[in-house]
Amino acid sequence: MRLRPIFSLAWFMLIPLCLVAQDEPELAPVTRTYAITNVNIIQAPGRKIDMGTVIIKDGLIRAVGKGIAIPTDAIVIKADSMYVYAGFIDGMTRAGVNRPKEENQPRVKDPGNPSPERAGINPTNDVRYSLNPADKSLEELRNLGFTTAQVVPYGNLLPGQGALVLTAGKSADEMLLVSRSSMYSELTGAQGVYPATLLGVMATWRDLYRKAVNAKNYEALYASNRAGLERPVSDRNLEAFYPVIDQKQSVTFRAERLLDVSHVLTLKKDLGFQAVVADVKDAWPMINTIKASGAKTFLSLDLPEEVKKDDKKKEATNPRADQEKEALDKRKADAIQAYNAQAASFQKAGMVFGFSTMSAKAKDIPANLRRMIAAGLTEDAALAALTTNPAQMLGLSDRMGTIDNGKMANLVITDKSYFNEKAKVRYVFVDGRMYKMEVKEAKKGDPNAKVDLEGSWSTVTETPQGKSEGKLTFKKEGSGYSGKISGGRMPSPVDLSEVTLDGNALTFKYTMTFGSNSVTIVGEVTVEGDTFKGTVSFGQGRTAPMEGTKDPKN
Amino acid sequence: MKTIRIILTLLAVLGLGQAVWAQAEKGTVLIKNGTVLTVTKGTLTETDVLIREGKIVQIGKGIAAPQGVNVIDATGLYVMPGIIDAHSHIALDQINEGTNSITPEVNTGDALNPFEVEIYRALAGGCTVSHALHGSANSIGGQSQTIKHRWGTYDPNALKMEGAPRTIKFALGENPTGHGRRDGTQPQTRMGVEFVIRKAFSEAREYMAKWDAYNKAKAVKGFRGAPPAYSLRMETLADILKGNIIVHCHSYRADEIQMLLRVCKDFGVTKVVFQHTNEGFKVAPEIAAAGAMASVFSDWWQYKLEVYYSTAYNAAILARNGVVTSINSDSPDLIRHLYHEAGKTQKYGGLSDDEALALITINPAKQLGVESRLGSLEVGKDGDVAIFKNHPLSIYGVPQYTLVDGIVRFDRAKDAADQRLMVDPKQTVDVTMYENGHGYDFCMSGAEFLFEEESKENK
Repeated sequence: MRLRPIFSLAWFMLIPLCLVAQDEPELAPVTRTYAITNVNIIQAPGRKIDMGTVIIKDGLIRAVGKGIAIPTDAIVIKADSMYVYAGFIDGMTRAGVNRPKEENQPRVKDPGNPSPERAGINPTNDVRYSLNPADKSLEELRNLGFTTAQVVPYGNLLPGQGALVLTAGKSADEMLLVSRSSMYSELTGAQGVYPATLLGVMATWRDLYRKAVNAKNYEALYASNRAGLERPVSDRNLEAFYPVIDQKQSVTFRAERLLDVSHVLTLKKDLGFQAVVADVKDAWPMINTIKASGAKTFLSLDLPEEVKKDDKKKEATNPRADQEKEALDKRKADAIQAYNAQAASFQKAGMVFGFSTMSAKAKDIPANLRRMIAAGLTEDAALAALTTNPAQMLGLSDRMGTIDNGKMANLVITDKSYFNEKAKVRYVFVDGRMYKMEVKEAKKGDPNAKVDLEGSWSTVTETPQGKSEGKLTFKKEGSGYSGKISGGRMPSPVDLSEVTLDGNALTFKYTMTFGSNSVTIVGEVTVEGDTFKGTVSFGQGRTAPMEGTKDPKN
Repeated sequence: MKTIRIILTLLAVLGLGQAVWAQAEKGTVLIKNGTVLTVTKGTLTETDVLIREGKIVQIGKGIAAPQGVNVIDATGLYVMPGIIDAHSHIALDQINEGTNSITPEVNTGDALNPFEVEIYRALAGGCTVSHALHGSANSIGGQSQTIKHRWGTYDPNALKMEGAPRTIKFALGENPTGHGRRDGTQPQTRMGVEFVIRKAFSEAREYMAKWDAYNKAKAVKGFRGAPPAYSLRMETLADILKGNIIVHCHSYRADEIQMLLRVCKDFGVTKVVFQHTNEGFKVAPEIAAAGAMASVFSDWWQYKLEVYYSTAYNAAILARNGVVTSINSDSPDLIRHLYHEAGKTQKYGGLSDDEALALITINPAKQLGVESRLGSLEVGKDGDVAIFKNHPLSIYGVPQYTLVDGIVRFDRAKDAADQRLMVDPKQTVDVTMYENGHGYDFCMSGAEFLFEEESKENK
């Protein structure tokens, strides 16, 4: 557990006696055999076994069905009435990829002729060397049920080679499934040097590609008979194109906007390589063109925010202004609806597509899937876009995408159908390794309780090592609250990032940063008059009871 | 009564999700009984124009409407060829790749944006075709795209005028040199501009020679050897030298205009159009003798030093000296009333109606190399038409319909307020401030009583 040092530190900051015992070495699992029993098995879209059993052994699915004998060494997960799906596959993300440090780039003497690196021509760069298995974004993806992802490097134009990885692993190498899964490209320019714009980027793409074709042909000629021929000089950036020219590797483009997709298809048409457009957000008007081009498509799991109904009483305005606003609001709402319906449009057009999480916030993804389904995407098609389709598109169908005997034990188990609003992910298996999610029942506050939160509260947190005292202060801000927390060994008070009071159920959050890592601490307590009781949690299921008493007003 | 039975493609595509994604949609329409300003073949009164599948197939009196064909009643209206703007930057997401003084490999056709409402606004001014030029930040800028204003398409490539010759932007004077001085690169002076262009052409000559030699040698059986290095930049320059690309050169001063004429003569480049050409009136005979053309503003000048020595007679002087001259907009605003801009040459220079109209129709068509298809109303040409109430050169001229390839892309009677094809789902909805700010007219402060009394008298 690589996160342990961070969490230890979090405890340490809050609690004088830190949890020294957290540094214990990780033990090998007792067994690698699991039996998930009495579970609704969604083997693949449209293929379901009610109340069956899935046996996992040594990282593989070993048996699927009803009436299967449970191995004696198996850990049994009684998943009564739960649902198990094949682990989800993310078509494009930067989860787990180290972001390069923002450095002030030295001024280029001749901006018209920068080095290839500065221009963004780095196709030999390989994302596998920039992976951080402890990155929180990987855990976030995994907690949603994603067990595999195509990760791509940072940069513009040609940032480097993408890789297919598992969303868990002790090391970058252990995470890696397929290296150089695709060449990655963004049609964005370099800062202040050639090519600085889309114009230069498109020209550079064509120029490099044609140079590479020529270089490759000449190398082949040279290899066939070297006598009398000048030695071809190596160029790593051109050589990186060879698998693309041979159609052995595709190029994955970040293509959020319809026009981005169109530019990619233009290059594909001009040069003839295999293209993948990923994180596509608004390409519904050109579905048929994409279909005809044969480009593979990953639709973005990001959606524009829904417009909240404005219940506030409007100020009296000019009726013409009201009319204009109504019309503009309607067009905006229609536009949002069209974004929601993009996936459904692709389904109707008979397109095979996957999803990508690149620009989506992890916490919004389940709700966004539901919005797509509400806009006409079938649940089976949504599941296919999360499992079988990306497996096929990424060449992984022999290993994953369905729950079948012999496939990798990449699974996600939810208490209700995944697309149900109230569904919670309970277990995720990545390569046969189990991750159990702590599920807390949402505490229902007493809606009628009258709570006077504003002011200062003294808190006591019970830890295995003893009590820790602190202070919480809340201040009314409009219809909500803001607050601060101090105490333990926290060097200075920390602002609460979120305070919600629902009846008498109080939730607050704050974030502590340790070096490059940060951890969000969540308090959930019930207020009764001048006291509260509840828990604080530090992630990964670590919680401690907390009590509070309101300080008398001065 | 007007009998308009035209399905406005525009309105059809406003419904999100059901979009047109077709290359160059063509329409069939009969324009009845208008005053037809052919530009090249005189003015024909009470005449019909029949467009079939995007092409003009018949011009004459009393053409019977073929069955099922849409009819526009142009009685009392003026029918002219769609206006052409030889210098514009509308419908472009990017205009300048100005990081290097020589970037002929780039192409504005790669950065077209069919959702820019400027396209629709140009149509509302009768303008059907524009030249989406690269900017003037560098000496040899990018290749440029001649576009048809097919508003309503979602496909940027569908804006491209199929078959239009390749063009490229050059730039002289303050813009490219200012850029060089800022970056500390060449060119920093007018001399430097000449040098970088000559250097580029010379390199392209060498490049061509190497490839020609290689291709010649390769044709011989048993040849073994390495091909020269490929360069898209050099390929493009070579295409200019071969005469495959029309040069459109941003220029203001007479000396730099003559400089480029000399450079082009030295390298055998004959297809040259000067853009802006602010001092063209000083060297009009020289431009005409070289077979070069000129595209100018009507009366827009003095926005920088090199545009100081100017005259509103520029277009007329150039035209009367035999230079194929056009008036351009270089602006999403002016592009909406190029007919006014052309009309100014009747005040400043006394050009005839046909001469003035030629400045925004057949002449820019020649400059873009599309005169066989556009720029006049003749049988066989594209069905790009602007229909005006009142004469287009009159200050009262108002465009009523604009057709591209026989399809009505603008109809004044159906001009909806919100023309956006794509709506930003994250935008903040902001409405016109109808009351605030302009509720009181300070210009008339203290003088209101004059008008009150006047209105009383009127009663």
